[in-house]
Amino acid sequence: MKRVYFAFALATMAHAQGLNPAALLRPPTDTWPTYNGDYSGRRFSPLTQINRQNAGSLTLVWAYQAHNVAIKSTPLEVNGILYFTVPDNVWAIDARTGRQVWHYHYESKGGDHIGHRGVAMYGEWLYFTTPDCHLVSLNARDGSVRWDIELADVKLGYFSTMAPLVIRNHVITGVSGDVTDIPGFLDSIDPETGKRQWRWYTRPNPGDPGAETWPKEGDAMSHGGGMTWMTGTYDPDLNLLYWGIGNPNPVLAGAGRLGDNLYTCSIVALNPDTGKLAWSFQPSPHDVHDWDAVQTPVVFDAEFQGARRKLLAQASRNGYFFVLESTNGKNLLTKPFIETNWASGIDERGRPVAKPSKDPSPDGSLVEPGSDGATNWMSPSFDPQTGLFYVSARRIFSEFYLTAVGKAEGWGGRDRNIWANSVLEAIDYQTGEIRWWHELGLGEGVAGIMTTAGGVLFTADNSGNLMALDASDGRTLWHAGAGGRTENCPMSYELDGRQYVVMAANDVLFAWALPEKH
Amino acid sequence: MDRGQKLFVQSCGFCHGNDATGSRAPDLIRSASVNHDENGNTIGPIIRSGRADKGMPGFPMSEAQIADIAAFLHSRVLAALNSASVEDDYPLDKLLTGNAAAGKAFFEGAGRCTTCHSATGDLAGIGRKYPPIELQSRILYPDGPRPSVTVTLPSGKQIAGTLAHLDEFTVALRDDSGWYHSWPRAQVEAAVKDPLEAHRKLLYVYADANIHDLFAYLEGLK
Repeated sequence: MKRVYFAFALATMAHAQGLNPAALLRPPTDTWPTYNGDYSGRRFSPLTQINRQNAGSLTLVWAYQAHNVAIKSTPLEVNGILYFTVPDNVWAIDARTGRQVWHYHYESKGGDHIGHRGVAMYGEWLYFTTPDCHLVSLNARDGSVRWDIELADVKLGYFSTMAPLVIRNHVITGVSGDVTDIPGFLDSIDPETGKRQWRWYTRPNPGDPGAETWPKEGDAMSHGGGMTWMTGTYDPDLNLLYWGIGNPNPVLAGAGRLGDNLYTCSIVALNPDTGKLAWSFQPSPHDVHDWDAVQTPVVFDAEFQGARRKLLAQASRNGYFFVLESTNGKNLLTKPFIETNWASGIDERGRPVAKPSKDPSPDGSLVEPGSDGATNWMSPSFDPQTGLFYVSARRIFSEFYLTAVGKAEGWGGRDRNIWANSVLEAIDYQTGEIRWWHELGLGEGVAGIMTTAGGVLFTADNSGNLMALDASDGRTLWHAGAGGRTENCPMSYELDGRQYVVMAANDVLFAWALPEKH
Repeated sequence: MDRGQKLFVQSCGFCHGNDATGSRAPDLIRSASVNHDENGNTIGPIIRSGRADKGMPGFPMSEAQIADIAAFLHSRVLAALNSASVEDDYPLDKLLTGNAAAGKAFFEGAGRCTTCHSATGDLAGIGRKYPPIELQSRILYPDGPRPSVTVTLPSGKQIAGTLAHLDEFTVALRDDSGWYHSWPRAQVEAAVKDPLEAHRKLLYVYADANIHDLFAYLEGLK
């Protein structure tokens, strides 16, 4: 494996502005080369220039106004250029000044424009998913199109919003679906040619292990959903790719798909070279509340009950925090991080046991959390210095209605939001206890989290304030009214000896740093 | 569309199900041919020629008949696409599963609703005022009055009004004369009174039966 990386490093050194693949294996300092900063999904920056002593003096360096829909993407930063997206649009801007280098617009033929998470990079090429479910490779120099392939048929309800993950010469790409009853999958695409290397469907093949978790008769399994709409993580030591899988379809109507419905609402481990499944764990068996388990499966090596272990942690949309052994998927801990009301207990495999009385019903069932989830796409963070796992949590009460009559198609029902507020929580990964929390206000917060070796946690509240908190106790160190809602996740990089922190509010990207010395 | 439905039930329903969700033959709402079709251009040839390999016979239909069937199938696809909503016209009979007498008992007893409300006062005729599904949502958490706030300045002076904004850093109110004021929270005391606090607390207490009983009771206040 080492030899392969070395060969790639040599090949790309000639391209000074391209991404050296070795950067993907290092903590993110001068480079933020992938959606989560590195393969672990920790969103932990090793930078220390901005720290808990001086974060109060952070100042605006630049703002970039996209004049577009809200930015939900995390920019990449490679050799002084930031690459970020909204649906149908990619920008390259100067990471030092916020000035535009180029802008690419894609003409999509329909598709869902709900949001976009960002691009992936390999050498001098970018990879961009589209609302009509294509994958486009762009030249990072100027945004020109190198190739454009269809991942799946937009007319069947497929679209894509996610930032692909590059592992060696694999561009791992997922898809979205929402209303229509279509099967989810993960593709590995050749970065040079755009040819598919493997496809892994999120449902078993008939007769394979897992198929027994679906009805034998009918088309439930082959139309059962399970989308792959968030970027996964990777452990180079184990050569395992970790991915969170979306909810089953029909979304709220479970009668036609009795059983656990693998591998929907699951965390799966795959071999990135073959797409072969190594293990799976299911946070929400037979989900009927739209609680997909796509939240970042964060991987880290740490102490657990006295022994050093390889761990995977997820704060899941259903309101439960899970810690697994990343080698084999064995459950080590399951604990709610909000006061949920839908489970009667935890089974012997560590999965919450749903109360049938909290299934959607024609006259309504009051459930916490609602379908928007106790958390969602916004990034969590794991700080190895504090040993805390941070999550943007929401207390959402929602009334779930089942409307399907006969064979359900699509959603087959819907919940109506009743009330919500939001809270940032710091979870002790060994016990699931909430060490501290920081209220973020009424409504559903959607801002991601980043922690840094300077002891600072960056996020935003529900009133348009960007914030720096002390990662050890949640105390506010700094804030700035940004005039809009933050829907993306913070990132950081160091250039010319200066550490920048970049976060969006609505469609404006802001870069913060310590004051310049004049 | 109605013509298309009749025709579909007669000719296709036996295999594809009368609602096109599949039976012996596939679900057509989920079919690629139907989802790509425009006015019968994809499904027309299939209807006419059949699919011998799958045991489907051909049906000698006119352009107009195929267009009718296409309209019916597209309406079924649209219904699936729209299945993710619960509209204001949601039928009352689906919601009316509770016991009004039990609802009254909860209203006057365990729910402590009479602390703020009266069935003959502010809630008189509430069952006429909103669509049923809206009423059920509002019972749980109404779009009610804004909180009031009293701000105490460092001087000891107090200013009361309607809460205009509250976050970690700022408190703002509108005073009785309609003027807006704001202060850094670090420099003042802000005492907020939220009339909806009891509704929030009940969310953690309700059994679903309480909600359906309360709904039956309040829906009946015409």
